[in-house]
Amino acid sequence: MANDNLQIKKLYALSSENRKFSFSLPLKQTIRIGKRDYEVKLKADEKYGTYILWKNRKYPVEIVRSSQNKYEILFNDISYTFTVETPFSLKRMKVLSSKRGKIEREYIKAPMPGKIIDVLVREGSTVVKGEPVVILEAMKMQNELLSPVNGTVVKVTAKSNTNVMKDDLLVEIKL
Amino acid sequence: MMKIKRILIANRGEIAVRIMKTAHLMKIETVAVKTSVEPNAMYLASADVIFDNTDDISEIPVFLDIEKLIAIALKTKANAIHPGYGFLAENAYFAQKCIENKLIFIGPSPDAIYKMGNKTIARRIALGIGIPMALGSEGNIANEEEAAVIAEKIGYPVIIKAASGGGGRGMRIVRKPDEMEKMFIIASKEAEKAFNDPSVFVEKYIENPKHIEFQILGDTKGNVIHLGERECSIQRKHQKLLEEAPSSALDDELRQKMGNMAVQIAKAVDYYSAGTVEFLLDSEKNFYFMEMNTRIQVEHPVTEIITGLDLIEQQIRIANGEELKFRQNDIKLEGWAIECRINAEDVQAGFAPDPGKIESLHMPTDSCVRVDTGVQVGSSIVANYDSMIAKLIVTGKDRKDALKNCKMALDKVWIKGTKTTLPFFRMLVRHQKFQDGSFTTAFIEKDLERYYFNSEYEEMLAAWLATKLFIEENLNDDSINVNFEHGKEMSPWLLNKRINQF
Repeated sequence: MANDNLQIKKLYALSSENRKFSFSLPLKQTIRIGKRDYEVKLKADEKYGTYILWKNRKYPVEIVRSSQNKYEILFNDISYTFTVETPFSLKRMKVLSSKRGKIEREYIKAPMPGKIIDVLVREGSTVVKGEPVVILEAMKMQNELLSPVNGTVVKVTAKSNTNVMKDDLLVEIKL
Repeated sequence: MMKIKRILIANRGEIAVRIMKTAHLMKIETVAVKTSVEPNAMYLASADVIFDNTDDISEIPVFLDIEKLIAIALKTKANAIHPGYGFLAENAYFAQKCIENKLIFIGPSPDAIYKMGNKTIARRIALGIGIPMALGSEGNIANEEEAAVIAEKIGYPVIIKAASGGGGRGMRIVRKPDEMEKMFIIASKEAEKAFNDPSVFVEKYIENPKHIEFQILGDTKGNVIHLGERECSIQRKHQKLLEEAPSSALDDELRQKMGNMAVQIAKAVDYYSAGTVEFLLDSEKNFYFMEMNTRIQVEHPVTEIITGLDLIEQQIRIANGEELKFRQNDIKLEGWAIECRINAEDVQAGFAPDPGKIESLHMPTDSCVRVDTGVQVGSSIVANYDSMIAKLIVTGKDRKDALKNCKMALDKVWIKGTKTTLPFFRMLVRHQKFQDGSFTTAFIEKDLERYYFNSEYEEMLAAWLATKLFIEENLNDDSINVNFEHGKEMSPWLLNKRINQF
């Protein structure tokens, strides 16, 4: 990375929905909208915690998770996930993804502690994106956990009527 | 004379705070129960007496333990019990036990709770006095074959409902005959688990209705009046998210007609205390009796605002044996009120609960805003109970004005520590169908592409922040000249405690 630094003129934040935002370096404390530059500031105080100040309004921000170049950010109560890429890593990523293909497995985990009410798939079941696979009861609500992908169920570790902890693996799907 | 001297609050959270607030105004003492789940809960601070139940190791929450609550009331010398909503609020046996122990139950009679709590009995009573209802089974049904026969007769789609149900559990819509077996079993199983009673019945399913409910007040002298309606069509999984009063779907004539029906139902069970009669209203303005809730409702504040009455005070006075001081003609509905239930839920994950600790909390203080809450900074939204953080209740002179104020108020709410339903409400107040009043109970499922609102630049600002973090973490070479200002501008890494690794 250190060697790359000297040449980096731009960074890209790629959203999970594949929108690309580019920022020139050094990173400015302004963002241009139309012909005007608006100041953007990251601040914090006792009363509000961390926030971004933009056009005279405070927006609450939090970093929910981060690893390497991947960031999940809560901005005004909405979560966004970005991977930040340099021009080089972006190029490398494109080459790699064309060679290696995409992710092959999707792991459905318990988003919160609770009780498994029903398991709606079996090993070998085919599922489509958005199809409920497990029903988890927590906080007086029954929550349907949906498959984020189309694929085939290769492993089911969730059992009806058992309690699970947050992030316990429930179902594994092969794309 | 006020016989009620000291009330045991058999509840927690915002409703415990709400009841104690009125009790204090009436100079009545209150007892709150401290539990090991929430030993520092905000509601404890409002009580005159705290009963410490933290050494109770029972798996059943104390708020569901009839014997224990009665014992606590007797021990703390309370002479009345307010059940709030949820827990034992609609348990006839609990009300009966209070009476047997010479404790005043602040609610209706055990008989009224029992009759209205059992949906098949309630149906029979309503049918008997000519209240319009959706076609359905006479009573409970034994099995899926019987359900299929009835569904064939009244026509699909039908809805299977738990006889002892409420809150959307034990309820399933069946659109085609071949779904009946599966749905019947699911509904019945769910009913048994939730209400200890697997019995279900079948009703014609009204497509895309509005949920309209009437607030009832009755005293022990036989006076029953209604306080107008609330519209609660904004629901997901049959759970209400936003309520308003009055409803834009009713004119005075329909209001009077439905209100009279609601009063008749209440009178049929000699109802006293506060109660709610729920109806479905179809697109042709036909209405159908759904059920009666024999307790104070979560959404009672919107009615308080348009009537100027304190419903908890009325409940206490009625339980004290007082006669209502007003009649139907005295009730004037003024202005408009909207209640948003700000819950710890992840809107982007289909409203999944998101328990956590409240790290910062600011609510608007404008005169058009009322906030009912049971949490403060440092409180935890625990997985044992519901996900409510606060009720944001906004007033206006008419619906348009209330909506405008609501939009403003939503932008002033600041909550950190859990995800909330705020982005949903910010979307809702901007949605055409919500603004023009044409929304139905199917709104969330059918009319929405996205459950949340973000302004044009919010995602870009989040991207800017991600980039800033990346630079700070990876590119500290002088050559790219990244300089962060000192002083109040902070490095986000130092500030966030919630960082997890992917």
